[in-house]
Amino acid sequence: MRPEVRVAVPAIAALFLLLFTLQVRIDAITRNLPLQKEELLLRSARMLKKMSLGYDALLADLYWTRTVQYYGLKRLNDDPNFELLSPLLDLTTELDPQLVVAYKFGTVFLSEHPPAGAGRPDLAVQLTRRGIAANPEEWRFWADLGFVYYWYEKDYANAADAYLQGSRQPLAPIWMKAMAASISAQGGSYRTSYFLWSEIYQSTQDAEIRKNALKHLQTLRAEEDAQHLVEIGKQFFARFHRYPAFSRDLVSAGLLPAVPVDPAGYPYVFTPDGSVRLNPSSPITSEKISPPSKP
Amino acid sequence: MTRVAIVALNTFREAVRDRVLYNLIFFALLMISAAVLVGEISIGIERLVIVNLGLTAISVTGLVMAVFIGVSLVYKEMDKRTLYALLSKPVRRWEFLAGKFAGLLLTLAVNTALMTLGLIAALLYVTHTLAPADANLLVAVYFILLQLALVTGLALLFSCFSTPMLSTLFTLGIYLAGLFSADLRASGMSGNSRALELMTRALYYVLPNFSNYNAIHAAGHGRAIPFTLVWANTAYTVSYLLVILLAASAVFSSRDLK
Repeated sequence: MRPEVRVAVPAIAALFLLLFTLQVRIDAITRNLPLQKEELLLRSARMLKKMSLGYDALLADLYWTRTVQYYGLKRLNDDPNFELLSPLLDLTTELDPQLVVAYKFGTVFLSEHPPAGAGRPDLAVQLTRRGIAANPEEWRFWADLGFVYYWYEKDYANAADAYLQGSRQPLAPIWMKAMAASISAQGGSYRTSYFLWSEIYQSTQDAEIRKNALKHLQTLRAEEDAQHLVEIGKQFFARFHRYPAFSRDLVSAGLLPAVPVDPAGYPYVFTPDGSVRLNPSSPITSEKISPPSKP
Repeated sequence: MTRVAIVALNTFREAVRDRVLYNLIFFALLMISAAVLVGEISIGIERLVIVNLGLTAISVTGLVMAVFIGVSLVYKEMDKRTLYALLSKPVRRWEFLAGKFAGLLLTLAVNTALMTLGLIAALLYVTHTLAPADANLLVAVYFILLQLALVTGLALLFSCFSTPMLSTLFTLGIYLAGLFSADLRASGMSGNSRALELMTRALYYVLPNFSNYNAIHAAGHGRAIPFTLVWANTAYTVSYLLVILLAASAVFSSRDLK
């Protein structure tokens, strides 16, 4: 037997013993890493992960980009059919459970009513809950979940619970707890809704989300204005035994200092029964104070 | 040791002469286009795409180089009969193998280092600043280098007794098996056969476990990679390389080169 072989055989046997010990140690270390845990949480994309030969991180980025392109194209074409949106988001987040941006934007894309989104807040809830499971330290997911329950589902009990659970996260802001208390006590209210949309408006970096939040803020403001104007209209009725025909009637009567306009700058419209509507030319849309139908 | 270094240096020079480092042009173009385009076509993952794409490209390019250059390291010397001239000098066979291995590893290290610089430049272009968490990128690159060292060792081992075509298949086969060795073990454990379970468990520990080196996710998200994992992976790679090089040396020394 050659000297190299004589040395190699026992050395290789000893080294395999060492390798066994090292592999056991590596398994123990990686088992405690968050990424390993999350792979077990999401089993449905396992085959895709295997096919990616370990490059699933890049594949997740590609899927996210495809999701954004898909959503953007649908919006551009005003197409309300978003049937591929949820599967694309699922694959993206299963390939990369830490891709926070996919959960955050995905929630908005799924929740918004068509044609702005898929109109599926139930799927948004599922997505956000998976995001929470994969990223338990992210308090914002709880805020997103609470918001979907509050705004889209009108499920105030679950909304309050989500904000309360989120408020227990180490980095959660103090308003999360206040929000939980407020929703528990009042359910849906103008003040709460306005605060939540303002929070989204201020915290997002994305122009599209910001635009959407601003639109909702303007609608809320218009609805709030309309309620006030109805009250002032009642005062006008008490004095003149009729409702104002135009907004300027309120100014002439000294009940308002100027003609009331909506956030887009269009005067509100009074109807003969005393209700207040949006101006037909206004870009603001609201089911509660939709413009009067033309005869 | 000097003899090993001389062989290593010549292997590196030969690789440079063969224009192996031209792949850097491809990498540079990939990084430039990614840095320019990513902001236009996606939302919020500019940094992530650059890191994931860059590390993936470094890993894939390195793997291709390690396999295709590694399998011809010994075969080419025998085919051109330059090996006989070399071994007639006071160079032992194991020194020749160690030198060849070190030379290719040096080539891969230089290539990886240059790509890493390109990746950091692209990252700076996209994010305008480097955060402390970006240091994890270097750990991920180090893990890629460890992985490439193992693949190079395997390719060298097979090139000692087989043709380049077969060596490529063997190396890629072991690489894929090593990548999925955890699944292999899991499939054995889920069955009813005790023998199968023992066999898959043994394979898990015998095959080089390439999934140990996947740190691209962690680097992309700026998550810290524990130092214990760094040293454990280093020790694992060094030990496994010793196994491979000892085996290669034993096989090569037993060959009748007349």
